[in-house]
Amino acid sequence: MASIINSISFKNFFNYYGDYDTTKYDFEKGVNVVVADNGAGKSKFFNAFLWLFYDEVLDSDDKKRKSVKNFAVKIISDKAKNETSIGETVESGIKVEYSTGRYKFQITKSFSATRIGEKLSDFDSWQITMDDMEVDKTDHVLPKYKPVYDANEKQKIISQLILPTLRQYSFFQGEEVDKMIDFSKKSSIEDAVRTLTNISKYEDIAQIVEDITNKAYNDLNKQTKSTSDHNDRLDSAIKLKESLQVQLSKENEKLEIQKELYEVAEQEKNDLEQNFANAEKRKELDDKLSEKNKTLRRVKEEYDTFLESINNRFFDGNFSWISLGFENSVLDFKHKIKEFRVKRYEKKTLLGVAESPNDYFTILPANSPDTVTLEQMIDGEHCHVCDRPAEKGSDAYNYLLKLKNRPNENTTKKEFVKNDLEDFFGNLQLNASPFLNKFESIPQSVLRTREKELELKKRLDKLSSEAKALKSRRKDILIAGTESDGNDNASNIINQYKGSIRRTEQASSKIERIENTIKDLKSKITNTDKEITNLRPKDIPEGFSISYDISQDLLEATHKAQERVFDKMVSLLESHANNHFQNLIKYNDIQGGFLKFAKTPSGGISLDYTDDAGNEVSGASEGFQRMKKFAVVMSIISANTSQYNYPLLADAPLSAFGNAFNKGFFDSIPNVFPQSIILVKDLYDKDLDGKLTDLGQKLMKSDTIKTLYLNEVDGELPQIERTTKIERRK
Amino acid sequence: MNSQEFRNNLLLKRPRYAVSRIPVLDAFSEKGSKSSDYSRFGPYYEIYIYAMMLGIKKKQRLPLPPRDLTKDFIEIGKWKRDSSLVDFLLMVIFTQTDDLDIDWNELEDMEVDQLNKVISKVVTHIEEYANGGLEYLEKLWEKGELDSSHYMFIDLYNN
Repeated sequence: MASIINSISFKNFFNYYGDYDTTKYDFEKGVNVVVADNGAGKSKFFNAFLWLFYDEVLDSDDKKRKSVKNFAVKIISDKAKNETSIGETVESGIKVEYSTGRYKFQITKSFSATRIGEKLSDFDSWQITMDDMEVDKTDHVLPKYKPVYDANEKQKIISQLILPTLRQYSFFQGEEVDKMIDFSKKSSIEDAVRTLTNISKYEDIAQIVEDITNKAYNDLNKQTKSTSDHNDRLDSAIKLKESLQVQLSKENEKLEIQKELYEVAEQEKNDLEQNFANAEKRKELDDKLSEKNKTLRRVKEEYDTFLESINNRFFDGNFSWISLGFENSVLDFKHKIKEFRVKRYEKKTLLGVAESPNDYFTILPANSPDTVTLEQMIDGEHCHVCDRPAEKGSDAYNYLLKLKNRPNENTTKKEFVKNDLEDFFGNLQLNASPFLNKFESIPQSVLRTREKELELKKRLDKLSSEAKALKSRRKDILIAGTESDGNDNASNIINQYKGSIRRTEQASSKIERIENTIKDLKSKITNTDKEITNLRPKDIPEGFSISYDISQDLLEATHKAQERVFDKMVSLLESHANNHFQNLIKYNDIQGGFLKFAKTPSGGISLDYTDDAGNEVSGASEGFQRMKKFAVVMSIISANTSQYNYPLLADAPLSAFGNAFNKGFFDSIPNVFPQSIILVKDLYDKDLDGKLTDLGQKLMKSDTIKTLYLNEVDGELPQIERTTKIERRK
Repeated sequence: MNSQEFRNNLLLKRPRYAVSRIPVLDAFSEKGSKSSDYSRFGPYYEIYIYAMMLGIKKKQRLPLPPRDLTKDFIEIGKWKRDSSLVDFLLMVIFTQTDDLDIDWNELEDMEVDQLNKVISKVVTHIEEYANGGLEYLEKLWEKGELDSSHYMFIDLYNN
């Protein structure tokens, strides 16, 4: 029958202040959950079992285990210490009650501390007396506990709660989960398989049968030699067999060497696997990051140039911001230049009139009559305007000539001012034209400039936050335990990894060749054996040869059985592990791969993580990695025909892996463990009314959860006032 | 003197600024230190032109100190070469006939030395408004009333 923890209670144990009856958790068969925020007693709870099993507690400061005796002063609740005056004594302890099918046990471990000094946390201020461990036992019929006195029996009772060899699979804290099976060490899976199954029995049997066979063969040969009737042919057959056997053992040695090489390369490959995945991922991130940084730099440059160029827009004719507000100046200029021109024309005209008044007083308006008519009038010596004759040489004729030559006269410009500045002013207006027509569009242009800047800024911010995200993702991936150098290290690891794969492949093909040679040798030996049997003298007592034959058959049968059991075990493990794995990750959106168990050429078990198509998957997230481990441990437990009889005690097994993993975990553990006590913080939310997350509330209603406790500590109080309050919610 | 000569004489002038304005000139142009939270002007003539136009807008005219407390810089003709900018500026300046105390038509009848005096007058006009504008900027700057934005110059210009 399985061991079931009925209750655990504390007395002034860390923040669990008070006597055993005030700080007690009652548990049931099935899943029990203790929800607590950081600092609310999860690890202390776990510490109680460390004390129970090993007389140690974990020092949260340096993460090292310390003996209870040396650490006692820190174990006692600060509040209890504070309430103890000098000369008085305070007691601290833990009490666990568990039952098996027939019996119920109660184990108490405690010590007393007498205060002899002022300073509360000083080790010298307290005198510690370890109390004897108390173990009481009762059967389910008698309600009364009887003390157990025998030290061995006491120890046995503690061991029986969770067997020491099984504790690594049944009693762990946070990251210890990662250590219970180290996928990088192949032996770790085999150890687990050996610990949790009866596979090693077959190896023992094979060894015994092999010994028997050797003995039978030696006996037979001894018998053969003792009879005189042996001949040369038999001798040479035996010699042939012996030489074949020497060859065989040489080949076997070679095989061992290759297997060892294979092992080493495989080990290296496994060791590098995680790093390789990380290195690849990191390299990928590096590439992405450098691309992103390039774009970032370009946009930053663009942005800087843009900012620098904002004020250029004052002076650039395309924007002409400098003209803003000078509309009136421009109008004024236009007005002034008109006036200027009128005045200078007047001046010019006046000057001209003074010099040759007749040129400026004509009856006819300019360009009238036109040149053609004028020429006709001159040729015909008749004025059509006044219809009078104009003979050649007359005043009228000369006037017509003068009219015809009018334009020519005008071109001969006369200096009428000292400094002719008309072009100066005229050209100013002409040249400045880009600045003269943008007044209305400038506010719009300023607005567009701001918009463009915002757009660039937004782009820049987006890029830099993307680059930051890449950097932080990159930082999360450690390579070979170091955080230094980027690319070099990454490609180094990739090369090493590829090298190790090449070496496993080489070793594996050599192993195959040697195995073929061995097979050949073995069949040769079998044939030689038959020959030897035929050549053996007939007078050897039959028992010897029969014994040898039978033992040989038996050896073969045992090897085959061992292989069959092993194969069966491997395929059973695989199907169980995948079942558990799929259950564990069923609430996760990402599809998980398959766990593939296989026999290695060197005869061990390997585990690969593959996708649908059988390709190896690397770089799965940490949550998946941990679930893989749970799945394997659970498969080893569940694939075993006998029931697993021990509770699971886990502190923060999935901290921060998210709801989906937690949900899958709580769903799956009852399939394997008869009882589990899980300490979690992920279900706690101090901002919610009930302090439980959605998942926490759902689990409360779930049938699989038998009890649910909520721990709370008033963090506002000073440490010497702080106590952990236990509230049973279910 | 014809139009071309008049223009050339004017464009060859190198306006001056007071030595005491160097810090403010540096603060607002790229000749000064880099990196700031507002956009600067490029070469000195940009902040100089800006200050002059601002001076005209805000009617801030301020004589320069004695000559040995001033410095000159590049010729007007080299401000933003090959652009219409200087023409526009001269348009604005020559419109201010009252301020300059000139009459365009009278210019045409002046003797060379008189005309050169007018050119000097125009340059002084430029210098004094630029100085006035710089003084205006400097005061705001000292009082911390310039809002450090990339648009502070256009915002100030627009007000």
